[in-house]
Amino acid sequence: MSIKGISRTTAVVLTIAIIVVAAIGYYYFTLPPPPPKGELKFWNYWDGTNREAINALVEEWNEKNPDIHVTSVTISWGELLPKLMAAAAGGEVPEVAIGDLVWMPKLAKTGMLVSLNDFIKDINYTDFYPEMRKIGSYDNKIYSLPVSANNLQLFYNKDIFEANGLDPNKPPTTWDELLTIAKACTDPDKGIWGMELYTGTGEGLTWQFQVYLWQAGGEFLSADLSRAAFNSPEGKRALQFWVDLIQKDKVSPLAPWGLFGQGKAAMVMDGTWMVGGWRPGGWAPITFSWGTAAMPIPSGGVQATNMGGEQIFIFKTTDEKQRAAWEFVKWLTSKETQIHWDILTGFMPVRDSVARDAVYTTWAQTTEPRLGPFIENQKYAHSRPMVTQYPEISDAFSEEIQKALYGTVSVDAALANAETRVNQILAAAG
Amino acid sequence: MKDETKTAIICIAPALVVIGIFTLLPIFYSFYLSLTDWDGFSPIKNFVGFSNYLELISSSDFWKSVGVTFYYAVGITIISVVAGLVLASVINRSGRLMSFHRVIFFIPVVTSFVAAGVVFRSLFSPAGFLSDTFRSIGLSPPNWLADPTLAMPALIIVGVWNRLGFNTVISLAALQSIPRGYYDKAKIDGAGNWSRFRFITVPLMKPIILLLLVMSMVDAFLIFDLAFAMTGGDPLGATRVVGLYLYRNAFHYYKMGLASAIAVIVIAIILTMSLIQMKLSKFGREA
Repeated sequence: MSIKGISRTTAVVLTIAIIVVAAIGYYYFTLPPPPPKGELKFWNYWDGTNREAINALVEEWNEKNPDIHVTSVTISWGELLPKLMAAAAGGEVPEVAIGDLVWMPKLAKTGMLVSLNDFIKDINYTDFYPEMRKIGSYDNKIYSLPVSANNLQLFYNKDIFEANGLDPNKPPTTWDELLTIAKACTDPDKGIWGMELYTGTGEGLTWQFQVYLWQAGGEFLSADLSRAAFNSPEGKRALQFWVDLIQKDKVSPLAPWGLFGQGKAAMVMDGTWMVGGWRPGGWAPITFSWGTAAMPIPSGGVQATNMGGEQIFIFKTTDEKQRAAWEFVKWLTSKETQIHWDILTGFMPVRDSVARDAVYTTWAQTTEPRLGPFIENQKYAHSRPMVTQYPEISDAFSEEIQKALYGTVSVDAALANAETRVNQILAAAG
Repeated sequence: MKDETKTAIICIAPALVVIGIFTLLPIFYSFYLSLTDWDGFSPIKNFVGFSNYLELISSSDFWKSVGVTFYYAVGITIISVVAGLVLASVINRSGRLMSFHRVIFFIPVVTSFVAAGVVFRSLFSPAGFLSDTFRSIGLSPPNWLADPTLAMPALIIVGVWNRLGFNTVISLAALQSIPRGYYDKAKIDGAGNWSRFRFITVPLMKPIILLLLVMSMVDAFLIFDLAFAMTGGDPLGATRVVGLYLYRNAFHYYKMGLASAIAVIVIAIILTMSLIQMKLSKFGREA
């Protein structure tokens, strides 16, 4: 077994072979990976004009990037989460998808989303608003990026204001002013109310009420998300305000949602998307003249609103497809694409640089000044608590609060009952 | 095996297979799920015994929703069957207009509950046509959908509006199958309107009336889409029927085990109701 047994030629050939293999190996492993290619499916629930907008953007992407072809698939809001969850549980996943921000804990928990921690080194991640970055994180990892945003502000009917001798360019700025104006506008004989509140059960009530709670200085859940925090003097102040509007001052009706759009309520708090919906040519155009304003705040309170919107994320597939998907996500959330997207849809900026961009601000001021209060106050937007039990918490909360709105239980009792139920749900495994 | 039996088996087999796969299998699977804590997605289904059932039995929300559903179902059944009979008798005498009437009353039957729910919601709204009409004649309008005592009647009105046409058309067909000669002979024997109705119409219509009672009851008990579109269970849970309660647990909270247990209990309730109705009426014997 001695080396002498190997001929000189064999030794030379072997040495060369080893060097070649090593060289190839070195070359192969240090070379940057080839640009990813692939077909990507992109699930989202944007419909109507928003669907046209996303289709236009995807088309633009496909023209510029022949190697990564994206197909946008519209699935209704109600169906998308069940479909995503079913896909994550073993079905065929789309490479890229968006989700309502309240879905994110549930989706991240499936373990089927790609962690973006390495990818985001490519981009200026801190340019996204902090509250929105919070939504994209789960267990100290980043799983999604904000792609669109909206919030809640005051809409008011200028025609009703004028008919009641009020200045149509002076919307209320405080809760007291809101009440005064609401009283002036309410006319039971005509079936017109001052302020429309969301009095049905479900997330509609909960997310509207949270705005008043935050404005009064309260919190919905404790900081560690382990228990309810709304049963506080601030919570009582907010709920008392609602109950008084309905029961004492009778300026808000107990009625199915939608009176403002029918011209039967002088004021309402609603979302950014309604600016696009109610304007001429929108998807729910209204004939009367209306304006928007920052949501009035209580004396000694703070500015606050609730944040809605979508996050975009990548499913675990193959390495190449994940990298291809990232290229698309990076492009869609980039400053330039976002400006285009926000102008097409009327959504709020998710990046500080977009909100400060001259092209964007000029567009907003000239084309749709009614978006102004939404853009200016996006920075006061809170995100709803990121817990997997949120849908159940939201329903339970709204059911107990509704009892106070109907006057069947006191403000104190309603908040205490809601607290008990929410704590029970939080204590159960999510 | 007799040839007849063989033929019977061959003829029934296709239907049995279809029913087996699409009806029986899901029911058994649903029962299996009701014994687990499945969340609808995860591959893990932990066996939890009857704890879902125990949770439901001790839940006042669940029993309230069952009660609300009975309120709706009984309301629909009584009103739509009785009104259907009356309407059928009237239409039966309308002569040449009969087919026209049949079509008119049948239109709601083929209208989607979701569409109807949305339309009636705005009709009943304080800003809606009904309320405006009340105001125009100087009355203060009832707040149908926001009044816990009126919301369910409003839902029943729409349910009956939808159900009436079907019950009328079936009753009409049954009325027309009664030979006219019976009435003529009874008349000769001196029977009045009421006697003829009581001793000829009712006994001959009995199997159909009972069928309509069972069908209306079962159908109404499964109400979901109308309540979903019109009231969403509001106010104060006054219209939160068991279908909505199930939907919420299944598709809001992803508690598939609990939702399946609700479904199993609903099946049991419907089965019991149908059996009682058949027993009371000796339906099985006559049919």
